[in-house]
Amino acid sequence: MLKRIAAVSLLALPLAAFAAPESYTLDPYHTYPNFTVDHLGVSTMYGRFDKSSGKVTLDRAAKSGSIDITIETASINTGDGDKGTRARSRDEHLRAADFFNVAEFPKATYKSTKFVFTGDNPSAIEGSLTLLGVTKPVNLTIDRFKCNPAQGTGKERCGGNASGKFKRSDFGMKYGIPNVGDEIGLIVEFEAVKD
Amino acid sequence: MNALLEHPAVQGGVAPFVVALIVAALLGRTRYAWLAIVAGYATQVALSTGISFTPLSASRKILLLCLLAPLVGIGVDALVSRARPAAYALAVVAGLAAAWVFLSVLSQREGAQMWLQGLGLVAFAAAMVASMVTLRDDGLRAGVAGLGLGLAAGIAALVSASIGFLLSGMSVAASAGALLLVWVVSGRPVAAGLLGTLSIGVMVALFAEGALMLAQMPWYAVALLLLVPLAVRLPVREDASTFMRALFLSVYALAAASVPIAAAWFAARATVS
Repeated sequence: MLKRIAAVSLLALPLAAFAAPESYTLDPYHTYPNFTVDHLGVSTMYGRFDKSSGKVTLDRAAKSGSIDITIETASINTGDGDKGTRARSRDEHLRAADFFNVAEFPKATYKSTKFVFTGDNPSAIEGSLTLLGVTKPVNLTIDRFKCNPAQGTGKERCGGNASGKFKRSDFGMKYGIPNVGDEIGLIVEFEAVKD
Repeated sequence: MNALLEHPAVQGGVAPFVVALIVAALLGRTRYAWLAIVAGYATQVALSTGISFTPLSASRKILLLCLLAPLVGIGVDALVSRARPAAYALAVVAGLAAAWVFLSVLSQREGAQMWLQGLGLVAFAAAMVASMVTLRDDGLRAGVAGLGLGLAAGIAALVSASIGFLLSGMSVAASAGALLLVWVVSGRPVAAGLLGTLSIGVMVALFAEGALMLAQMPWYAVALLLLVPLAVRLPVREDASTFMRALFLSVYALAAASVPIAAAWFAARATVS
C-alpha cells in the first residue's frame, strides 16, 4: 500500500510543479503608479509615484494570482518639484499633511484579494488600498497583459497596465475638495521579472 | 452658497469670525465667551475637512486636543482655587500631550533625532501654554495674543507648505478678533481664565508643531512664536480706552508675529527643493 502511494506521488510530482504558482518581482524601473485628478473643473492633472516595489504570483492553471505593491509616498511627482522663487512647490505641498502626509504615512500599499481571469490572462484584480492608515477596497481592470518568455540569460518578464478609480475622501484626504477633485484615477504600468 | 463655503478665506476667516462673534455676543459678559475660540476653530475644521477621529492620525489628535482643551480649562477653573500650580501642571501635561500627538512620526526617526525632536515638542508646547496661562487674568492681552499667535502660526504654516494649518491659525486669529471686537464695543473685556488661555496655547502650539513635523516649518520659526505672548506684556496706558489699549497691544503682537513669519519665509526661500 505504501509503495502504491509513493508511486502515485512520484507520478503526480511533475504535474504539481507545473501547477505551482509562479513568483515574480516588480521591476521598479518599469513599474509606476500614476494618478489623475481634476483641477478646478477645467483640467485633468497627472502625477505618479517614482518609487514602488512589490511581488506578484501567478498560477495560470488554477487561474489565480496575487499582487502586493508598496508605494513610497514621498516619491510623488507631478512635474512641479522645483519651487523656484516660490515658498514651496506643488510636490512639497502634496507631501505635507494636507494631502499625503508622508512624514506620518511614508508608505501606501495595494494588496490583491482575487485575480479574475479571462482566458489564460488576468483581466481584473480585486484588492484593497491602504492610504493614510485607511484600508478600502479598490478594484483594478487589467487593460493589457503579456508575458515574454525567458530569452538567453534573461528571465521571463510579464507586464501590463491596470487602471481603477477611488475617492480620496474615503481615505480621509479631504483638503481642497472640490477645487482639487475627489475622484482619483489610478493607472499602474507594471513589469515583473520571474524569480 | 456651497461655492462660498468652499472658499479657503471663508473657511479659515469669515465663517470662524462670524461664529465666534455670535458666541462672544451671546456669552460676552461671562467667562464662557472664550468658547468663541474653539467654536471658530471647530467651524473651520467642519467646513474644510470635516470633524473625524478615525484613524487617529496626528492631525486628528490635534483636533481632539484642541476640542478638549477648553473643557479642561473650564474644569480646572471651576475646581482649583490655587491657579498658579494648576496652570504650570497644565503646561507640563500639554507638553506631554504634544509628544503623544506626534508619536507616530517620532517613532520613525533615528534614536537621537527622535529624542531631540520629542523633547523639543514637549518643551515648546509647555512653554507656549505656560506663557499663555500667565495672561489668564487679563482678557484683553490674552485676546490680542490669540490674534497675533493665530496669524503668525497660520502664515508661517502657509509658507511651510501647509494650507491646513494656515486655516487653523487663521480661525484662531479670526475668533480672537471677534472677541476683541465685542469688548471694544462693550468696553468690558472678560478675564480669559484657563478656558481661554489654555485653548489658545494648546491650539497654537499644536498647529505650529504640526507644520514643523508634517510640513516644512523650521524649528526656529516655531520657537519664535513665543515672542508674541511676551510682546503683549509690554506696557500700555491702563487708563486708556479699551479700543486704544487693544490697538497698541495689537501693534506689539503683530510686530512680534512678523518675526516667526519672516523666519519661515526666509527658510523656505533659502532651501532648495
